[in-house]
Amino acid sequence: MKRLLVGAIALALGAIPATAQSLEDLNIQIHGYATQGFLYTTNNNILTTNSSTGSPDWTDAVVNLTAQPLPKLRVGVQARYFLLGSYSNQFLIDWAAADYKVNEKFGVRFGKVKTPASLFNEILDIDPGYIWSIMPQGVYTLSSRESFLAHYGGVTYGKVNLSKSAGKLNCWTWIGERVIASNDGFLLPSAEKGIVVPNGVNGWMGGAHLAWQLPIPGAKVGATYAYQAPRTGTFNYTTKGLTYTGNMVRSEIKNPDYYGQYESGKFMAAAEWERKATYYEIDTITAGATPFPTLAKIPTDPHMWYAMATYKVTGKLTAGVYDSQWVNRSAALSTSGARFSKDWDISARYDINEFLYVKAEEHFIDGTGLVYDTNMNLGGLKPTTTLTIFKAGVSF
Amino acid sequence: MKKLLYGFLLVATASIFVVQAKAQVIVIANNSVKASDVSKNDLKDVFTGASTSLGGGTVVPILLKGGTANEEFLQAYIGKNDTAYRAGWRNLVFTGQATMPKSLDGDAAVVEFVAHNAGTIGYIGKASAHEGVKVLAIK
Repeated sequence: MKRLLVGAIALALGAIPATAQSLEDLNIQIHGYATQGFLYTTNNNILTTNSSTGSPDWTDAVVNLTAQPLPKLRVGVQARYFLLGSYSNQFLIDWAAADYKVNEKFGVRFGKVKTPASLFNEILDIDPGYIWSIMPQGVYTLSSRESFLAHYGGVTYGKVNLSKSAGKLNCWTWIGERVIASNDGFLLPSAEKGIVVPNGVNGWMGGAHLAWQLPIPGAKVGATYAYQAPRTGTFNYTTKGLTYTGNMVRSEIKNPDYYGQYESGKFMAAAEWERKATYYEIDTITAGATPFPTLAKIPTDPHMWYAMATYKVTGKLTAGVYDSQWVNRSAALSTSGARFSKDWDISARYDINEFLYVKAEEHFIDGTGLVYDTNMNLGGLKPTTTLTIFKAGVSF
Repeated sequence: MKKLLYGFLLVATASIFVVQAKAQVIVIANNSVKASDVSKNDLKDVFTGASTSLGGGTVVPILLKGGTANEEFLQAYIGKNDTAYRAGWRNLVFTGQATMPKSLDGDAAVVEFVAHNAGTIGYIGKASAHEGVKVLAIK
């Protein structure tokens, strides 16, 4: 039923670009986009889809409503239907916020807001915004929409023009609460083990992002420091007729990120490095007659980076390549490839017109540390795979 | 080797003038806009949503829906075609950072709108009538 509804929304989105500006006189705008992806892998099932036999289980449909009642005030909401394998099959609100821009140097946004961390976090889920079908998964994961993309709270932003020889500084700060629902991809690994977290997990978070536009045209460097407080959630686990209840705890995350980007005419290059050290722990409250197996702290300390480049071959065709790596430095060394994921990607995007585009992408993935789940790979994982993606999108 | 390098620089410099010579557009603004000129970088910032201020005041960009003047303006001062340019604005809309600028049909409509709305800035063909607005020199 949801697929049918989404199909209808996608058709409607494609049919109404002409009306997108019809409410302009009221300072109200409606925009949107829809995408459909197809994944095929030579080994392993990826991103919780049946990709080894070819999977179309990747659909996005977005509607955006924005109004500007006052010159300095904007309000808006963006709703989405998102399907990606078992990670998500639901309608949700991307963001719903009010934005008051006092001047170039200071503005504030509050409500459910996009978290302005790192180089691409704000446009990570905006498929029409870039060439790639999937961004480097170590830094910009697709598996969880609610872990990094947005938060409930506020963002401040501002820009300072330095001297002509020093460039410009952009600064963002944010604080709020991040709520991860029980059906978010973040909790899928637990759910596949039978551990249900009915109310999800939440915790407060904050951070700052500084980007320096260098006096060299098109060049910028930036740094983000994000902090996420420990998150807790009550879980249920039923086995052999007994139901256990406990607390799932994820420790704080201190998350540094550094990047550089250079754009010149048809060419763009970027590189980014990030670290997200944390650990997971399960505390048993009620153990029933049989003691619940105590789980030790499970530490993770992934270090990830990528380097990418794109080139606009013609007005409509863009080509790109990236190399990304994710290594869990707290995992034991092994030959299985479970502690790392290395991904070479070649991409192309063709803009048919202002509204329609298609993408094609090939990944050469080495290692099994990312993008695979247990239930879709019950026969075990092979160390390498190639992933082919085709995607079509319409936006207005 | 040096000769080759000088030759390359000469061609590159000449190509800049060729691009500028092709830009048969002027930038107009409402009389309330304090600035009388604008640098290419500031112009690009205003028309890509990176900045909303010019000469110490807030400005609102107004776009042409299409046509030769639109293409020339985007090519000369933004460095993008119309498709890529509007896609860039939509990225700002989808991330909650901006609203899409008003797009109007033809130079006369842009002049009319800019003349009657404080803080607005637009572009039109060089030969078009532009009474009631000020022309910003591009530095």
